Amino acid sequence: MSYLLPHLRSGYAVDQSILSEEDRVVIIRFGHDWEPNCMQMDEVLAGVADQIKNFACIYLVDISEVPDFNTMYELYDPCTIMFFFRNKHIMIDLGTGNNNKINWPMTDKQEFIDIVEVIYRGARKGRGLVVSPKDYSTKYRY
Amino acid sequence: MATLAESFLADLEDLDEDEPEQESESEEEAAEADDGMDDIETLNFDDLKACAKLTSEPRYNDVLARVRAAVASAAEDGAAAERKQEGPLEEDPTYKLLVECNRLAVDIDNEIAIVHNFVRDKYRPKFPELESLVHHPLDYARVVQRVGNEMDLTLVPLDDMLPAATVMVVTVTATTTSGKPLDEEALGRVMQGCDMAVQLDEDKRTILHFVESKMNKVAPNLSAVVGTEIAAKLMGVAGGLLALSRMPACNVQVLGAKRRTLAGFSSTTAQPHQGFIFSCPIMATTPPALKNKAVRLIAAKSTLLARKDAYGEDPSGAYGAAMHTEVVRKIEKWQEPPPAKQIKPLPVPDAEIKKRRGGRRLRKLKERYGLTDVRKAANRMMFNQAEEEFVDGEDTIGLGVLGKEGNGRLRVVASQQKQKLSAKAQKKFKSRMYGSSGATSGLSSSLAFTPVQGIELENPQARFGEMDAKDGTQSYFSQFGGFRSIKK
Repeated sequence: MSYLLPHLRSGYAVDQSILSEEDRVVIIRFGHDWEPNCMQMDEVLAGVADQIKNFACIYLVDISEVPDFNTMYELYDPCTIMFFFRNKHIMIDLGTGNNNKINWPMTDKQEFIDIVEVIYRGARKGRGLVVSPKDYSTKYRY
Repeated sequence: MATLAESFLADLEDLDEDEPEQESESEEEAAEADDGMDDIETLNFDDLKACAKLTSEPRYNDVLARVRAAVASAAEDGAAAERKQEGPLEEDPTYKLLVECNRLAVDIDNEIAIVHNFVRDKYRPKFPELESLVHHPLDYARVVQRVGNEMDLTLVPLDDMLPAATVMVVTVTATTTSGKPLDEEALGRVMQGCDMAVQLDEDKRTILHFVESKMNKVAPNLSAVVGTEIAAKLMGVAGGLLALSRMPACNVQVLGAKRRTLAGFSSTTAQPHQGFIFSCPIMATTPPALKNKAVRLIAAKSTLLARKDAYGEDPSGAYGAAMHTEVVRKIEKWQEPPPAKQIKPLPVPDAEIKKRRGGRRLRKLKERYGLTDVRKAANRMMFNQAEEEFVDGEDTIGLGVLGKEGNGRLRVVASQQKQKLSAKAQKKFKSRMYGSSGATSGLSSSLAFTPVQGIELENPQARFGEMDAKDGTQSYFSQFGGFRSIKK
């Protein structure tokens, strides 16, 4: 699953990937390939990549290999996903309190597609913050 | 027949006297039943010659002689030559012989059935169960020939005539049979019948073989697609190649379909409208789901090819062969699985402009959710007057102009529909809305309070009743139909 998705091996590569995409949302997963949470997330990402390839592209970054962004983006969780559009970081209100990233592995493909679509729509309109269709404030309770 | 006992006594005493009476009765029956019906139940003749007359007919022997001569001359000529005459098919002597052969083949079939009945009846005293074990006429005749008057069937080898299971059943049944050996005369008649049946079969084979060999020359294209036997049968039933060519394809499709089942027999197994073409070799290899489609295709092509052959075009049969491969190819294509499902990626959100539709239907739909007069009045406010409010849970909802004097209305009525109903819908609601001006809300009634009678009830149908009587186009199921009466 993680072998199906492209990896970015340096900070320069990460920067270039964010800068070069003009029409699509750039989704970057920060974590480790061998991490169980990341594996779960990669499974979902690989399954979804083909369907959303018209408006989103997915990259994987190993935070031990590329430690440049760890303090900048506060990558302290096992698996983090961040969204960029036209060199701008897009925030999502998930209800968890942290609008900058998704820092848990999502298991449902359709939910993930919905989030990416909302981000695409909002970002195209110029919004920096979009509201997720599903609220994850209670994700630990059920 | 006074009583049953008396009739039994009469049978016992008058055994000999009854026979000629029976014969004459059955003669009449046979004469009535013999009008072209293929399945004849019983013929109680003693003499074979009296019932099986075909072999003694001159045309039978004549046709057979000609066939044998033609076969011999064809053997001398060697390789198959193409049809010599390019002219009208009807005058080709080979073609004429073929047409007669076809008719004769059908007659031989009938004759074999008659002979089979005869043999069966005569052999019944010897071995009655045999007729229910061996159904096919030819098989029956051969078995009877082989068995003869023998009571112990283990001495009689039947393996070359019947399948092993049937041989076993026949042998076993013979040991417990209730039959007795026949006398010389009866045996002689039975053998005569069997010999005739076998002879007829031989002759039929000769004729059919000849027809098949000639079919390729007479109708090469048609036989390339459906095969020589079926082509010959089609020609025979249609009454010639030209007649066949004049038929539309839908008729050719059902040529040879069995029209009647015997009375009392089940007709569910009789396949409807399945003619000769249904049994052609191409149809044997098509799956049952595609048989209907395939038979239509083959019938259509056969008609075309029959027309080609009738006028003598393409004597080599190349066109027919091409058609054959085309038909087979088409049937193969029908059996191909559908193309694999393609997984398409999702479209870019908001990339396609939504096609907005308009029209009366959409406007009518929108009316349901549009702004009503009540809402409009609630949204407005009078100048310098506080509006009435009511509390709904946590919310306070203001009523605006609603309920205030000076806005010109006692109460706000539900607005009429801005869209007009269609004529049919209008008629449906006309009598219900009668009495109200068409702008009533659901809370108004059509009762009228009059000073004289108090409450006056009017039957809305009385108003429109006369219209219904005049309007003869009221459907039986109309809501306001009611009972019809001729006089008032």
